[in-house]
Amino acid sequence: MSDPAALSLAAAVQALRARHVRSRELVDACLARIARWQPRINAFISLEQQPADEGVPLAHKDMFYRKGRVSNCGSKIRRGWIAQETSTALSRLDAAGMPQIGTLNMAEFAYGPTGHNEHWGDCRNPWNPDYIAGGSSSGSGAAVAARLVFGALGSDTGGSVRIPAAACGVTGLKTTWGRVSRHGAMPLSHSLDSIGPLARSAQDCALILAAIAGFDSQDPLSSREPAGDYVLAKRKFRVALSSDWIERHAEPEVAAVVLAAARDLDATLIEVEPPQFDTLSAHCITVMQAEASAQHARWMRERPGDYSSAVRSRLESGFAVPAAAYLEALRLRAAWLERFCSTTLANADLYLLPAMNVRVPTLEQTGPRGGAGMPALLAEVTRLTRWVNYLGVPALVVPCGFDSLGLPIGLQLVGRPFAEAELLAAGHAFQCETDWHCRAPAERWI
Amino acid sequence: MTAAKQWSGEAIEAVLAAQGIRLAPGRAEKIANALNAATVSAPLSLEFESDPTGYALALERCKAK
Repeated sequence: MSDPAALSLAAAVQALRARHVRSRELVDACLARIARWQPRINAFISLEQQPADEGVPLAHKDMFYRKGRVSNCGSKIRRGWIAQETSTALSRLDAAGMPQIGTLNMAEFAYGPTGHNEHWGDCRNPWNPDYIAGGSSSGSGAAVAARLVFGALGSDTGGSVRIPAAACGVTGLKTTWGRVSRHGAMPLSHSLDSIGPLARSAQDCALILAAIAGFDSQDPLSSREPAGDYVLAKRKFRVALSSDWIERHAEPEVAAVVLAAARDLDATLIEVEPPQFDTLSAHCITVMQAEASAQHARWMRERPGDYSSAVRSRLESGFAVPAAAYLEALRLRAAWLERFCSTTLANADLYLLPAMNVRVPTLEQTGPRGGAGMPALLAEVTRLTRWVNYLGVPALVVPCGFDSLGLPIGLQLVGRPFAEAELLAAGHAFQCETDWHCRAPAERWI
Repeated sequence: MTAAKQWSGEAIEAVLAAQGIRLAPGRAEKIANALNAATVSAPLSLEFESDPTGYALALERCKAK
């Protein structure tokens, strides 16, 4: 076998079972690639000293706790903090034969959409290191794209699985709120946080989701909705989209690639009025800011200087959110969800749109020296993801092409609550007909 | 009809100070401007009895059949 790290997770599982490859070979192949890529993309924070050699190795955002191990949460404040318990998601992956070989870079406290991190170094895009990997699960997107691991967990509060998946050209699943236990995962905004996989294909995401989904008594907000095995059943989906909105609001290259990909889906396409992205995003921001600031209140009082200026600014804003505005946003949530399902999805199974309205921006454009245009650019990066968190519904991002600079473009499918199986099946069908997900960044960068 | 009151930097400083939060220099005005610019258009009308816990039931009602 030339490079076992080039296998998909599903193929690696199959090869292990057939004894065509040994787990140690998979681990060694990943470690060899990590050694070559890490200086360029800074995706890893730590590596296990003695990685388990049974199963297919994964690595996870540095905010999933493992008893006795450090979880830095991308921060200075939690640098060196040792977890006292293991997260349910990690325990379930261990039991499913997907051991962890390391922890991955992330935005500070998962509160940023680009992958900048002044404490641990910026994570860079493996397709071109001058560009963002996306955040906040930046290391998860970059490591999977560069084939350093077979899959990774991320968290998504406003787009933190889907933005790095889109920017790095991998498949990412934002799960329904409550689908995956958040026990032992760093909280940001409890009404919005969700945990999901980033992997090389929808099929690989399905394997990871099958391992981690389901009720957990240690997370009372986790859903009792039965978790399936996410078998990728082939069926013809009805997919709603708003082509006119995409053409008018997305960058032309993004619009052209996403609309071409829509036609490649084996689906009945239905034109609909777009959801009120900006109104729903505003509600999301209200909830996220209020909850994140409450979560960080003690550290914001005692050691505000230990946050980066960007994260400190976001947290400061949350203390100015009126309590009535926060509670009104939560009261409205059910009504908005029902409106989305009864209008946008009235005659459709899924809703299709770009993952990001804009092409992948550079680190400089979106960093401290980004200039006057930076806030507006960041708003465009998250414009099409936050509304999904407010509704709490699941969404899948799959790579669907490249821009003229060679950076990936992602297509986003949004479903009803607990429609992960439909999303993964639609993504798998798309990936059976296209090869965007099979493309990996060249090693000319390293 | 009276115009909606606008946030000022001083008001933001006071609100945050009451919560024990010291603002980084220059931040109060920025937060005030952001709050003043934030408008939520076309809010849905709600039943008086609606409360945030209704969301969990909505997830159940809206799931794929």
